[in-house]
Amino acid sequence: MVDLIIFECRKHFLKTSILVAILLFSILNVAKIYTVYHQNSLLSPNFSDPKWKKLYWEMYEDFRGEMSEEKVQKLMSIYEPLEKQTADQTASTRTDNPNTYTGNIYNDFLFFKWCLVQPMEHAYMYGNYAQKIVTNAKENIKFYESVGNQYEMSKNAAIANMFKGRAISDFSYTEMYQYYVHYDFSAFLVLLICLYALMSVFVSEKETEMDTLLLTTRFGGQQTVSAKLVASVIFIGFICTWFWLLDFASFSIIFGSMEGASVPLFVLENFVNSSIHVSLAQYALISSMLKTVGIVVLGLAFLLISSLFKNALLPFIMSLFVAFGLIYFGEAYMGSGKVLLKSINPFILVVNRELFRTTEFINLFGFPVLAYIPALLFSAVWGIGCCIGITLVLKKNALVKKGGKKRVIMEI
Amino acid sequence: MKVTFKDISKQYRGKYALKNFSAELENGIYGLLGENGAGKTTLINIFVGILKSDQGQVLINEMDVRILGTDFLSQIGYLPQYPQFYKNFEVMDFLRYMCVLKDIPKEKGEKRAKELLDIVNLSEAHNKKIGELSGGMRQRIGIVQAMLGDPGILILDEPTAGLDPQERIRFRNLIAKFSENRIVLLATHIVSDVEFIANQVILLKGGQLVKQDTPQKLIRGMAGKVWDVTATDETVDEKLERLNISNMMRDRDKIYLRVIADEKPDAEALIVKANLEDVFLYYSGAGKAW
Repeated sequence: MVDLIIFECRKHFLKTSILVAILLFSILNVAKIYTVYHQNSLLSPNFSDPKWKKLYWEMYEDFRGEMSEEKVQKLMSIYEPLEKQTADQTASTRTDNPNTYTGNIYNDFLFFKWCLVQPMEHAYMYGNYAQKIVTNAKENIKFYESVGNQYEMSKNAAIANMFKGRAISDFSYTEMYQYYVHYDFSAFLVLLICLYALMSVFVSEKETEMDTLLLTTRFGGQQTVSAKLVASVIFIGFICTWFWLLDFASFSIIFGSMEGASVPLFVLENFVNSSIHVSLAQYALISSMLKTVGIVVLGLAFLLISSLFKNALLPFIMSLFVAFGLIYFGEAYMGSGKVLLKSINPFILVVNRELFRTTEFINLFGFPVLAYIPALLFSAVWGIGCCIGITLVLKKNALVKKGGKKRVIMEI
Repeated sequence: MKVTFKDISKQYRGKYALKNFSAELENGIYGLLGENGAGKTTLINIFVGILKSDQGQVLINEMDVRILGTDFLSQIGYLPQYPQFYKNFEVMDFLRYMCVLKDIPKEKGEKRAKELLDIVNLSEAHNKKIGELSGGMRQRIGIVQAMLGDPGILILDEPTAGLDPQERIRFRNLIAKFSENRIVLLATHIVSDVEFIANQVILLKGGQLVKQDTPQKLIRGMAGKVWDVTATDETVDEKLERLNISNMMRDRDKIYLRVIADEKPDAEALIVKANLEDVFLYYSGAGKAW
């Protein structure tokens, strides 16, 4: 079986065109990440004063780590005078003011506000915010208890339990993660590469008339189909790993830091209501794994579609249609409360922040289940369904199907 | 070894591709002759298990192949019609892959592949990409892969289609070389492929067995049925319309027609010696297409 898998990998994926696609798409991906930095980062020269970057890392040395009263006081002692001076917009606009950090007082104000005060305030206040959620959830429990709604009671109990004791103790640079967790372009590129590479897995056997020859060999039937599926999953795993690592490395290098790996996920503003209590590094790993699972499921769907046809063009177009259709539905229900419709779409695993940035439940026989669990189960069902579909659709050797175990005594 | 086809039938959309086909094969070369659509590929596909027959049995040494299952597959070497193989594979890698598929141990397979490449005169091409090979070379690789497991039954479906005359002769000789102690079933519509090497010819028409015998006996059976008729430009059209022509040759203003007929087709017709092509045309009725 291992030999078959190796040959399948070589046959379908070790092609110049695929390697070139990976190389070119990798370059494109890095360029896109650079654009994300260039257009959005507070520290990019395109977005702010070039002095900000240097100043930030100097200041960061003073304020990083555990947030203490002393650090907050120190920051406010810089920020509050700036806020007062710029409040009525009458302060000097000169850009070479030696009594400022950046040469301009407004620039100083914005720097401290956006780069230090707001992120630190968010981190500092998060404990209160979480506690408020716990209090509300407890009130809800009482209410639903009074009206006898068991499901809502269980849901609110889960919320209270989840947010209990949540706090952010450290101040850290998280801008890189802010953009990293919202970056989907690489997943789109991976999807395109997989679409291109996977189309040939079954179709090429038909195009080269090898399908009939394979069926007349001992391991050319079901074993070869299994080897093709395993090889495809390995290929998807490899491509995903490469691109997710490239994403992380590129973000770290281009943003200039991967600080903040150990701070909780809810330090990111879009994840304040997150259902999972993990660090940013852990989330990066979980997210990458789920993205890979999502792309594996989509890849299996591409394989199922291609196994129905004799040439690659039509299944390529149909698979593209399916991929874009799933993306469209994913986008349509993103941010909505239609958790079941979101979870049923395997594409949700590719943009899995939608599952983790909020705490959403699905009512499963009266039990509140966090949205990512049914999403994973639905994807598993899709994946298994595609595998079964492929084995049903592909031609089999009529003899092997009924094959007995009797040895042949051949008179040769 | 003995292969028995017992009353095999296969229908596609209510039309018989193969009807009540029965035959017995023992070691030797069997030329499966028939026009396109006669049922040759259907018969082969049923034999190797790609198709399921509607009725009938295939027996190997009196044992149903469906009972033998995969064990039967390791006893057959098959070369399908128009195989392209994998263009990005080197010859030796492709053969290694086929060894894996056929469950042939690595070392044994490697040794056998080298031996066979030597026999088919392709040792030099072992590290060439399959996409770089000519059609004839690719067919020779095809027969090498079929022979890897040293099968007792070798099945070749139109193996010379698309080959130039030189490659066709070379391939024919290879088949003869590989036929020792095994059954070779060679499906073709090119009579010359089997004329000199087949021990027996199986003639198929419309999915039915028309005749099975040695080429010599089939030719002998045509004695007195092949005629040479001379025509001119004025009379040729009428003769083409009326007679079953197997060949036509012009020599200045005279046209010589080779005619297949049970009775003397023309007053001046002369009996000539029959060949296998005449047999094929006589039974398939293909000459009437003029």
